Amino acid sequence: AAASSSDSDSGRAESNEANSKWLDAHYDPMANIHTFSSCLSLADLHGDGEYKLVVGDLGPGGQQPRLKVLKGPTVLTESPLPALPASAATFLMDQHEPRTPALALASGPCVYVYKNLRPYFKFSLPQLPPNPLEQDVWNQAKEDQIDPLTLKEMLEDIREKADVPLSVQSLRFLQLELSEMEAFVNQHKSKVIKRQTVITTMTTLKKNLADEDAASCLVLGTESKELLVLDPEAFTILAKMSLPSVPVFLEVSGQFDVEFRLTAACRNGSIYILRRDSKHPKYCIELSAQPVGLVRVHKVLVVGSTQESLHGFTHKGKKLWTVQMPAAILTMNLLEQRSRGLQAVMAALANGEVRIYRDKALLNVIHAPDAVTSLCFGRYGREDNTLIMTTRGGGLIIKILKRTAVFVEGTGEVGPPLAQTTKLSVPRKTRLYVDQTLREREAGTAMHRTFQTDLYLLRLRAARAYVQALESSLSPMSTTAREPLKLHAVVQGLGPTFKLTLHLQNTSTARPVLGLHVCFLYNKALYALPQAFFKVPLLVPGLSYPLETFVESLSSKGISDMIKVLVLREGQSAPLLSAHINMPVSEGLAAA
Amino acid sequence: MGSEMEPLLRAWSYFRRRKFQLCADLCTQMLEKSPYDQEPAPDLPVSQAAWILKARALTEMVYIDEIDVDQEGIAEMILDENAIAQVPRPGTSLKLPGTNQTGGPTQAVRPITQAGRPITGFLRPSTQSGRPGTMEQAIRTPRTAYTARPITSSSGRFVRLGTASMLTSPDGPFINLSRLNLTKYSQKPKLAKALFEYILHHENDVKMALDLASLSTEYSQYKDWWWKVQIGKCYYRLGMYREAEKQFKSALKQQEMVDTFLYLAKVYIILDQPVTALNLFKQGLDKFPGEVTLLCGIARIYEEMNNSSSAAEYYKEVLKQDNTHVEAIACIGSNHFYSDQPEVALRFYRRLLQMGVYNCQLFNNLGLCCFYAQQYDMTLTSFERALSLAENEEEAADVWYNLGHIAVGIGDTNLAHQCFRLALVHNNHHAEAYNNLAVLEMRKGHVEQARALLQTASSLAPHMYEPHFNFATVSDKIGDLQRSYVAAQKSEVAFPEHVDTQHLIKQLKQHFAML
Repeated sequence: AAASSSDSDSGRAESNEANSKWLDAHYDPMANIHTFSSCLSLADLHGDGEYKLVVGDLGPGGQQPRLKVLKGPTVLTESPLPALPASAATFLMDQHEPRTPALALASGPCVYVYKNLRPYFKFSLPQLPPNPLEQDVWNQAKEDQIDPLTLKEMLEDIREKADVPLSVQSLRFLQLELSEMEAFVNQHKSKVIKRQTVITTMTTLKKNLADEDAASCLVLGTESKELLVLDPEAFTILAKMSLPSVPVFLEVSGQFDVEFRLTAACRNGSIYILRRDSKHPKYCIELSAQPVGLVRVHKVLVVGSTQESLHGFTHKGKKLWTVQMPAAILTMNLLEQRSRGLQAVMAALANGEVRIYRDKALLNVIHAPDAVTSLCFGRYGREDNTLIMTTRGGGLIIKILKRTAVFVEGTGEVGPPLAQTTKLSVPRKTRLYVDQTLREREAGTAMHRTFQTDLYLLRLRAARAYVQALESSLSPMSTTAREPLKLHAVVQGLGPTFKLTLHLQNTSTARPVLGLHVCFLYNKALYALPQAFFKVPLLVPGLSYPLETFVESLSSKGISDMIKVLVLREGQSAPLLSAHINMPVSEGLAAA
Repeated sequence: MGSEMEPLLRAWSYFRRRKFQLCADLCTQMLEKSPYDQEPAPDLPVSQAAWILKARALTEMVYIDEIDVDQEGIAEMILDENAIAQVPRPGTSLKLPGTNQTGGPTQAVRPITQAGRPITGFLRPSTQSGRPGTMEQAIRTPRTAYTARPITSSSGRFVRLGTASMLTSPDGPFINLSRLNLTKYSQKPKLAKALFEYILHHENDVKMALDLASLSTEYSQYKDWWWKVQIGKCYYRLGMYREAEKQFKSALKQQEMVDTFLYLAKVYIILDQPVTALNLFKQGLDKFPGEVTLLCGIARIYEEMNNSSSAAEYYKEVLKQDNTHVEAIACIGSNHFYSDQPEVALRFYRRLLQMGVYNCQLFNNLGLCCFYAQQYDMTLTSFERALSLAENEEEAADVWYNLGHIAVGIGDTNLAHQCFRLALVHNNHHAEAYNNLAVLEMRKGHVEQARALLQTASSLAPHMYEPHFNFATVSDKIGDLQRSYVAAQKSEVAFPEHVDTQHLIKQLKQHFAML
């Protein structure tokens, strides 16, 4: 029995210190690494069997983008980047020995390729054809045919109407103040209009062999809604595919020369699946919310959405399952434990948890000290199963999976929910109740008759009282079709001066009400009002108009009376509405 | 025959029969014949007796049982300096409602007051006001009050009573307080006691009463517990609760009296120490087993702390001792009604009827019990009687409101509509009626009107979750998600456990996350 209890303990999804599956290798809350999962990569960059971590760092506040290479807990090299990194990947370019992988970093419109941590090649995206109209306008500006203001107007016109978006230069110009325009035009008018797009995402795809150490192509997703496949050696564009929206996450499987499948999660909340010979998407999965992560586990696509849930889809776009998360998902990545043939999804949540799922089953929960923004699992240094996490505050956490650790499925939530076992406290039916039901059974008809008679009498009484109330306009609401109004009055204060607030509201759907008056009826010996009769402003439907007035209590004998408020229409003697206000007793006597 | 009686005896008899005015008049005549002139000579015992009797008669005329009647003034509530912890632990304070939900019915079943406590079966001064959260709430006239507002300042109330009695004696006051030589009177214990009560209750001059009491207690060499209790009472009136506590405790050491226990408990309640008060009551019960007032005090504290099951137990204990205790019967009745046993509640209310309580509220409750216990033949008759017994507009409004519920129950929305409207005619501040009317309008498809009504209801009674929730639902239906979310959050604040609100908020959050 003792063994089984300890077994169930170790099987808990919650990881506590003693029986955690993870070893805490390193935690530096001040590591100053701000990045996302797509900009993390693990590779044996020098071919010495020691794996390094490549980080495309955004810098604090996205100010100083840098490329960092970490070996163990220390930063090996650090070099500045011209623009914010979009993605980092390592891949083998060729078949030469030694097999040292190249490092590709997508940033702005370029991919920077490093070899042995030295710049090796820079690939720029091909320029897009500029808008001829825009070109024309700038040409006119060059020949001083139009002044900057006209130029601005024409460019704005193009921006609104044309299908082809404006170049960076024009967009920058449109942002300028009037005084800066002249100088800008003079400086830039002679330049050729260029239109370039930027890379949003990048991944690698094996060229022709499925081996671990085979050459791979780079697959790029661009802001111009295209997917490009690059040759690993020559960096020429091998294939170009277009999408209906901008891709943000990419997943690939297969080999470029044989057969492959590209999955792109896009900004419009859809996921598109493309095959080798298709120029356009073959399948489309429409999500109900924006995707925050895309991971392929064997043949299942796992998508995290902003609705705090994970969804599983087949590669043909059929939905398999949905798991609800306790908090918003920040990032996702794949966990692959090769020695045990395990593939699972890691999802970092806004509440600082990192949850590991195999399909629907929760395998493990890691509690991080801060919200984790990027995740990466794989071989690091000489350790096979290492989990690298960076946090929102720039911290770096490295955990090593214990070699004895086995993820047991179904340790998350099993069995019927707890609520099923709780007992509802339904009150017992008393003896009295049974007696009463007996009476009901015996004298049912008589009871019903009495009730019906009483009901008729009540209806009559209610109708009479209602008609009387309507005739004397006692009601605080008017139901006539012409002036649907509502009134309520609030008295505040302790006396002898009270504040009386009338809330008058026009409850019609569209018609404003004009020409109303408010009149107070009161005992002049007891109260004094500055204005007993005043005009009401125009009442816009749906708004509550507070009309305030002061009431002075004149009596010193602790007597209170009623004040009547009447709402009248101009030219009619019968009031539309009335409210009776029971004035409170003035408490100001003690002071007086 | 009466004229043959000796005048003093006749006055005494009047006093015993509680004909205080006649008694005082007679005493005045006697004193006019042999003027006492506030200079008592030992050879004039009759006039001295008449003087005492008149003082007592005048006191009795305006006497209020201070143990029961106590209203916290607005100043005491807002500017409370006696609170010790701002965030007390659950179950140790009266200020934090909802801290101690022990098996009682939830807000969805049993309505709550402005202070967030379940409504009680018996209207006591403290049950209707509670402590308002904001100044706005404090200065607004609450719905349950109609004669005097529960939030009147206590000093104001006592002064008013004093002035009222002044009006009845046009010749000026009976005793000219400013000319009294307190030291002299304090040396005559019998006279001093009557004089003290006259000063405190009739003239309402707490400071002078305190002076007299302290002189007297000094004279009695601090051995008379009665004076200590009186000093405590004076301190209590002056708001010096810690000093009052000392006096009462010292009095209890000398002589254990039920009254003293009650006064001391009152001090603890105002200091927001319900647990201490409970312990004190239990200590008192050891000395006076089965004392009804003590048991009742325990039950009230439990009720204030939202522990209705313990309260019901003690009320039952009260009934074992005194089976005509109206408060206990009414509280147990309402407890049964709200815990889904209307047939038992009906028994208790019938008992009240047998005892001669014959008012609007009782018939109103009887009608409701009959309806929910399926005794339909009695239902409407009871309400009819309640309507004819209604003394003021507010009571009539409540009856019409309940009739509206019956109409909804039998599915006659037209009648329900009329009933709720009539409730509003009688009482323009009936938030529940506004809310229910809005639901009916909503069913008819008049969204704008429903929204306006719900807005009014929620501004009238921000402590009710129903108008907030209904407003959220209506706004959600017509697609105004932002307002719906705001209202749903208010509803959650008013009633955190409400499942439908939680569902709605979750649904709205999903909407906001969606494309």
